[in-house]
Amino acid sequence: MPERVVLTIGTKKGLFVAESSKTRRGFALRGPFGSGVPVYATLIDGRGTPRLYASSCNPFFGMKVLRSTDLGKSFKETKSAPAFPEGDGRALVNIWSLEVGKNKKELWCGVEPAALFKSSDGGDSWEMVPGISNHEHARKWQPGNGGLCLHTFLRDGNRVHLGISTGGHYLSEDGGETFTASNKGVGAGFAPDPYPEFGQCVHKIVGHKDAPGRLYMQNHGGWANWDGPGGPRPDIGVLRSDDHGHSWRSIAKGLPSDFGFPIVVHPHDADTVYVLPLEPQTRTCPGSAPAVWRSEDGGESWNRLARGLPKKESFFTVLRDAMDIDELKSPALYFGTTTGQLWIGRDGGEQWNCLFESLPPIHCVKVAVV
Amino acid sequence: MARAATITIFVPGPLRAYCDGASDLLTSASSVRAALEELERHYPSLYRSICDETGTVRRHINLFVNTSHVRDREGLDTALVPGDELTILPAVSGG
Repeated sequence: MPERVVLTIGTKKGLFVAESSKTRRGFALRGPFGSGVPVYATLIDGRGTPRLYASSCNPFFGMKVLRSTDLGKSFKETKSAPAFPEGDGRALVNIWSLEVGKNKKELWCGVEPAALFKSSDGGDSWEMVPGISNHEHARKWQPGNGGLCLHTFLRDGNRVHLGISTGGHYLSEDGGETFTASNKGVGAGFAPDPYPEFGQCVHKIVGHKDAPGRLYMQNHGGWANWDGPGGPRPDIGVLRSDDHGHSWRSIAKGLPSDFGFPIVVHPHDADTVYVLPLEPQTRTCPGSAPAVWRSEDGGESWNRLARGLPKKESFFTVLRDAMDIDELKSPALYFGTTTGQLWIGRDGGEQWNCLFESLPPIHCVKVAVV
Repeated sequence: MARAATITIFVPGPLRAYCDGASDLLTSASSVRAALEELERHYPSLYRSICDETGTVRRHINLFVNTSHVRDREGLDTALVPGDELTILPAVSGG
């Protein structure tokens, strides 16, 4: 079967799957799957026979994990969803991330309240990962507006990077057994100490397989005008690390706002990184004119990409997991909005078109060529 | 749940997949708590959809004994007697 471009789109009303040939001229939409309840995380597991996963965050009946073995034509619940062990006292509120692990059928799952779970059987059973879930800081983390969530799981060999809102960046260098808060240079605007040990509101972290040690972070910016204790905190929103996340430095200069949620790196060039700046107060695009901003020099300078996007009167938000990029030779970016549009940015974001105009509010978008 | 059963548990449609499609289950449990414990033993996925992992009834689930919400009686300790109906109902939802 020829390779297909598959999009998983998690929305407020369930999961959608869109599929296209590698030309990406047109996408066929399927769904919604999952009882019309919110989907905050999806995963396209291309190891072997492709499997699609989605969290089904049912406010009535609790969390479920959905799995498809036919490329998103149908989904079934896995045998169980993550759950805190008896006596822990916490109850699962939401599932925020699903990622593949090192071994076949190994999955990792970040949840709310912030904790990490691991499955060794493709999602049928789950075990809590105590190194972070019972970390000495865990009961001190505070929820942000989106809840206290472990939303980013990034694996690089034996290193594991976690993004927690609001907890910050945590690093494991022993495969996920133990974790250390690793936030040197990561600012916080909502605490008297502008650079605390932990407690930052990290929004998203990405890395690149060709640049070991390089990471990019979208942090909770928008504090340039803060006039309270600790003083202004400009440019804390977009950061870079070159030492496996042990320290971070700002790369936000040149952006219209250092606030945003998603951050994406080009699949074939570790120096090319994309963000979608938002006004810190409204979480909508500056000047009501949405644009993706691209750096082709690792964050030293930024260019605005908006050809085909609305030029005015546009007030959507793009959430932390709602932007992705495919891995074709000339990759396309995709982002979904809280107003239900799914956009494709062809040629690395040079030309934008709306693929779907009226989906439910979009929480997350993933793409893969399978 | 096939003992000498005289109490009926009504299961809402979205949860019937977790109890082999049954719309109602029979029990002889002496309280709502005991009925839920019985569900946990026989239909763990059904139970987990009603209660979270701390044993708390989920926020948007309502339990009625006959026509009374259990919160207006003795909560999970509400007694059940032969002939009672325990109804599991999801709350109404907005947009």
